[in-house]
Amino acid sequence: MAAGTVVPVIRFEKATVSYPGPGKPALSQVSVDVDKGEFVFLVGTSGSGKSTALKLVLRELRPTTGRVYVAGKEINRLATWKVPRLRRQIGTVFQDFRLLQTKTVTENVAFAMQVTGRSTRDIRKAVPETLELVGLADKGARLPDELSGGEQQRVAIARAMVNQPMILIADEPTGNLDPATSVGIMKLLDRINGTGTTVLMATHDHGVVDQMRKRVVELDHGVVVRDEATGVYGYQH
Amino acid sequence: MQLRHVSTNLRQSLRRNVSMHAAVIITLFVSLSLAGIGVLLSKQAALTTDVIGSELQITVTLCVPDEPDFPQCTSEVTPEQEATVLQTIRDNPEVAGTEVISKEQGLDNLRERGVIPDEQFEGSDPLITADVIPKAIRVTLKDPQDYDGVTSAVQDLDGVREITTAQELVGPVFEIIDYTRYAAWGAAGALVLAAVMLVANTIRLTALARRKEIEIMRLVGASRVFIVLPFLLEAVFTALVGVALAAGALAAFTRFAIIDGVAEVITGLPFIGWGDFLYTLAVIGILGPVLTVLPTLLLTRKYLRF
Repeated sequence: MAAGTVVPVIRFEKATVSYPGPGKPALSQVSVDVDKGEFVFLVGTSGSGKSTALKLVLRELRPTTGRVYVAGKEINRLATWKVPRLRRQIGTVFQDFRLLQTKTVTENVAFAMQVTGRSTRDIRKAVPETLELVGLADKGARLPDELSGGEQQRVAIARAMVNQPMILIADEPTGNLDPATSVGIMKLLDRINGTGTTVLMATHDHGVVDQMRKRVVELDHGVVVRDEATGVYGYQH
Repeated sequence: MQLRHVSTNLRQSLRRNVSMHAAVIITLFVSLSLAGIGVLLSKQAALTTDVIGSELQITVTLCVPDEPDFPQCTSEVTPEQEATVLQTIRDNPEVAGTEVISKEQGLDNLRERGVIPDEQFEGSDPLITADVIPKAIRVTLKDPQDYDGVTSAVQDLDGVREITTAQELVGPVFEIIDYTRYAAWGAAGALVLAAVMLVANTIRLTALARRKEIEIMRLVGASRVFIVLPFLLEAVFTALVGVALAAGALAAFTRFAIIDGVAEVITGLPFIGWGDFLYTLAVIGILGPVLTVLPTLLLTRKYLRF
């Protein structure tokens, strides 16, 4: 990377992931740069390699060949004990919310700070602020069961954002939500992106992608087949 | 680090798996008690060997003057006589080793056996002094049954007072100690295995019960230490309770079975005491935590997928 250029927050350099046994690799020679502050949709059918790509960013996986850089670190060379530090710079949101059912909304969000060793003072300050950001300031004492799907996803986003990560990874965040609720979640992600957080979102949701008009990277059988700056879900005819 | 978070977690986890933890503690308690008894019995065996010689040994005592029972001894053994006896023994192919017991050591051993009242060794002019104790050579044999060769080679040499084999004296004692010790260790070994497997099961259950929580911890970047710490603290906690209970049982064993028990009944032999108990306590104090912490470290790696 030459001096003076913007260093991408995420860079795939001919990254290939092969699982043991016969069959095609899950990702093949993928090269994609994501700059700081970008909003990128990762689209493709099931088995196209979207989840594998996200796992590389989270360093749940390592590329078999090629390189992947996240927040300036080459994940292949990153020592195992440094992985938690990398993950603190990444917020993650899933289709199934993954909230702890026995903890209140506030406790669920605070959990992300407690387990990364943040002080009680920091937690008391950051948690209400983040709940305010996602529009749940008045629901802190509720349990996840008492909330709608959209609200639960907002809690998950709050948990992902409370440590102020550089990157937000969302794996089908609207997959379990109705279209109207999905719009609300996308507006929230757009607002988070507006504050400078890079967002990488894997999705099947045509409506969401078409409406947002953001960058779209399409994977098919582990290969990048399309990378458009302001794309829609399918090919434009 | 959020200590409160860790301690809350520990409390919750201990409560969630009460029966499993109780099982681990009880198994540890019994296995550590048995292992401790094994250690105490080894100490007893070593102590007995020190004082009266092991069954592998025969003792050749050398002449002291004025003993009507041993007419061949007219005076104290001379250095030359002693050297000849020693050399003859060492040259014998049945001999594995020799140890010379000085008159002072002999006096100490005699006193330790507790047969003769202490007053006879004390005061400004004690009845028994090192002078009247014969010097001795303790001979270790390759085979305890093969003492005839040494006996016949040595018994007619000048300066030899008496040859005693420890066989008749200590044989039965050692037999009892050994059988009990091996039984204790065998049972302890089986229970240790059970304890380790129980620890493994507990970890698996806890990891399963907390898998969502652990998954989230991993994703938000909790350090490995932070994730494993509750498991380790649980392991240390159960081990310490097990050790404490075993310590109580061993203290009772030392007090009631040894000090107030056999030591009162059997005279003529030294018995272990509180010093040996403390040594045993140190052994099980290390063994207990190792038995729970080691599998925890190995299994958290496996179940938590780092």
